[in-house]
Amino acid sequence: MPLEPLTELLLAVFDSPFREGYVPSIIYVSLYVSLTAVTLSTLFSVPVAVVLGFNDFFGKRFVKSVINTGMGFPSVVVGLVVLFAVSNQGPLGSLELVFTREAMIISQFVLATPPITAISLAAITGVDENVRGAAHVLGGTRLDVALVVLKEARYGIATAILAGFGRAISEVGSVLIVGGNITGSDGISKTRTLTTAIQLEARQGRYETAMVLGAILVVLVLAVNAVVVRFGDRGVQR
Amino acid sequence: MLRATDVSQSYRDESVFRELSIGIDAGEVVAVIGPSGVGKTTLLRTLALSLEPDGGAVTFDGADAWTLEEAERLSLRRRVGMVFQEASLFDASVARNVEYGLRIRRSWSERLREGLRSTVRPDGTNEAVRESLDVVGLTDKTNQHVASLSGGEAQRVSFARALAYDPDVLLLDEPTSDLDPRNTAVIEEAIAEARDRGIGVVVATHDMHQAERVADRAAVLLGDSITEIGPTEEIFEHPSNERTRKFISGELVY
Repeated sequence: MPLEPLTELLLAVFDSPFREGYVPSIIYVSLYVSLTAVTLSTLFSVPVAVVLGFNDFFGKRFVKSVINTGMGFPSVVVGLVVLFAVSNQGPLGSLELVFTREAMIISQFVLATPPITAISLAAITGVDENVRGAAHVLGGTRLDVALVVLKEARYGIATAILAGFGRAISEVGSVLIVGGNITGSDGISKTRTLTTAIQLEARQGRYETAMVLGAILVVLVLAVNAVVVRFGDRGVQR
Repeated sequence: MLRATDVSQSYRDESVFRELSIGIDAGEVVAVIGPSGVGKTTLLRTLALSLEPDGGAVTFDGADAWTLEEAERLSLRRRVGMVFQEASLFDASVARNVEYGLRIRRSWSERLREGLRSTVRPDGTNEAVRESLDVVGLTDKTNQHVASLSGGEAQRVSFARALAYDPDVLLLDEPTSDLDPRNTAVIEEAIAEARDRGIGVVVATHDMHQAERVADRAAVLLGDSITEIGPTEEIFEHPSNERTRKFISGELVY
């Protein structure tokens, strides 16, 4: 697998607390998949938002409506399409990604990209026209102006990344289809995430475990929210 | 030094002004007077080389800016400073704002090193930054965030920001129209200071008293052309053009 050495490295760094036990391994898989997907998606989405925000071209409205549609795209359908793509007969079949974390990263990337792009674009276009103008007349090149706009939009972009992370980590449909909700024979999660584990535990009647996992998921999402809100407050109040 | 010759501009197929000429030399203040919406901002942005004219030429020391390569035009553009009617400051400290013009003129490796250094040791204000904040009387606000400033202070920071990199030409677009008398006086003193440094200043204003106070020469922009240009006193006391006379006396209502 292309990302396996990285996984090994991370496991070596965190070592035992994540390796031992069913629940920690699920948390680890969830965070690993969602954080990787959101990071990759951010690296893709923000430059795209900058290009869309700075240029007028034929078909821009169409591109924007595709992105907006993507925000509401059902995750199970994304999972299905990604499954076809990585299956033996699919275009990515030779990579043998079915029921792997990498396949889950691909589908979460597809799911996180529209909200991150759309919200970043809104933040970028919301930057005061005069501030762009000021950067330009003070001698800024196109790149300088773009950097100023990114800096002005930083809280909006942080919100976009958070929204993408929220969609990725709490999403169940696509990771279930492409990941398969698998644990090893030792009971350690391979592709089982918090969401798919909750779904399984609840179906099997182990409500206590499901509730613990649910609480962990909520705390995770709230914690990330709190960090970004705090960060945003610093921007507003100073 | 900086000269627009027979320039025309239009906005969405509508002509803003046509075949208009104006020049600015080192160490003089030229006021562009005219009613709101007549195209003073467009004229200033044309002089700032930030808006390409539909016709005519903008020359800087004889070089026709829009026939040059982009890199050469950038170096001309970087000899001009501009202040907008609204302060338009960046979401950062006063010092970071004033420093901006200096920062982007450095090489990328220097900018990177500077960025790393300031993360480790934040204070260490550039001498040019301190000096231009001194011109607008705001050295005590250096390390404050711009959100804590009053409207007048913000506009003074905006002025200092354009002055910090020592431009040859300073373009001011209605710099005091939103300000109280005290802040207006500070800006007008700063204009005089800039002229004494040998900077050519263009002030767009609808305030004729301000034009009389600060400008050596005045240009009256009415309709789509400059109806009259000359020494400020002469324009106000003996306007040769009938429309200029009516505008100055207040008979011409837009």
